Amino acid sequence: MSKTLMVTGASKGIGLATVERFFQADNDITDFVLLARASDEFTEAEAELRANNPHGKTLTCYQIDLFDRDAIEPLMTEIMERHGSVDLLVNNAGFTAPAPIHEIEFSDFERTIGVNLYAPFIIVQKLLHLGNQFDYIVNVASTAGITGRSGWLTYSSSKAALIAMSQVLKEELAIYGTRVVTISPGRCATALRRKLAPDEDPSTIMQPEDVAAAIDMLTSPVGRYVDSENLVVRL
Amino acid sequence: MYTLALLNGGVGSRVAAGQPKQLIRVNHIPAMVYPLIAVDEIDEIDQIVLNYPDGWRDAIEKVVADYAIKTPITYAEAGATRHESVSKMLDLCSNDHVIVHETARPLVTADDFRQLIADEHENVSYMLDIPFTVAPVNPESRRVTGSLERSLLRNVQLPQKFRKQTLVDGHAYATAKDLTFTEDATLCAVAGADVFFLPGKDSNFKITTKTDVRLAGYLLAGDDEDE
Repeated sequence: MSKTLMVTGASKGIGLATVERFFQADNDITDFVLLARASDEFTEAEAELRANNPHGKTLTCYQIDLFDRDAIEPLMTEIMERHGSVDLLVNNAGFTAPAPIHEIEFSDFERTIGVNLYAPFIIVQKLLHLGNQFDYIVNVASTAGITGRSGWLTYSSSKAALIAMSQVLKEELAIYGTRVVTISPGRCATALRRKLAPDEDPSTIMQPEDVAAAIDMLTSPVGRYVDSENLVVRL
Repeated sequence: MYTLALLNGGVGSRVAAGQPKQLIRVNHIPAMVYPLIAVDEIDEIDQIVLNYPDGWRDAIEKVVADYAIKTPITYAEAGATRHESVSKMLDLCSNDHVIVHETARPLVTADDFRQLIADEHENVSYMLDIPFTVAPVNPESRRVTGSLERSLLRNVQLPQKFRKQTLVDGHAYATAKDLTFTEDATLCAVAGADVFFLPGKDSNFKITTKTDVRLAGYLLAGDDEDE
């Protein structure tokens, strides 16, 4: 049966790597819905996927800033009308503006919580209200949500909340048979990581493709045996 | 095709003062949501008749909207008695076959409904063995008046299925004879219909106390599945 996969933050990093992994595989996921802010990277990612589509899958890209709460619900309505359902959802979009407490701009804290926590909440709630039943939801959290580090107050807080929200969703959505999977990558070579650790050599740490492989495992049948807890993946 | 008549009218004063039983929450989810979701995936049930106590229709409709129940729902105001409630609901059932369930049994599963529908007989109730001894007594004199053979007794559960006309006739019979029943399988049997039973499950219990609510929550959360 043909499935629809929706990934947020799909223009780069873990989001794009996850899309590429499922897109290139010969599987039952045939409809891909990509959400990201408008950017050259997003345009290029879409072009590359369309140019290398060995299994004839469909791909639809939607430009949205997930901090714009008012834009999310109408987009979910549009996606349900066009695609019929969102069977698999990867809440991956993330924002950070690291700063110590003395220097945090409250607007940055609001944006961090808006993108990292409120957006996944609004997406899931709106799709449920529209009658969507998910096969699984993957929430990409972070080890920063488990252990705080100086300068990561806003980001760590948002990811800790996302981990807690995932635990609740796992219980509440069990009545639909929905699996809610939480994965917390440690250091991973993404643009966001460069903000958190600007002096780090990205070639020495975990790559987005590694996290995508872990998501693939978590969402596979064997994933059922390891998805009861927030799964930490780190080098 | 079947209509589900989902009984919802009783106020659960024993569980939570002032709250209708259907709005009692199990793991913070309204108890009525569990059977609604279970039924929503069953193709053979294409109508739900849901009753509501006076003054609670908006609250019930909001729950149905929030949980995006897809099966078309017809709302019926609860009657003064269970008989009256069922009679009002039967008038609104558009199919010749009716399944009766109550929202106070949230542990019912989609497979329970499927098995009931698949049974060869038209009038069938889930019923459970009685693992304890019951005795006939005179409550006033407190005299024990005999004994009952428990292998010949069953604990009546829901859901139940009936040919709609069987239920209509049964209720007419009870009204004519001024008889009161607390459920419809024995009512229809006493009225002369052939009614059969399927083995029930002890997990499909009725929430009548606060302890029941906690136990249901525990079971629904799968908290008994850890080593």
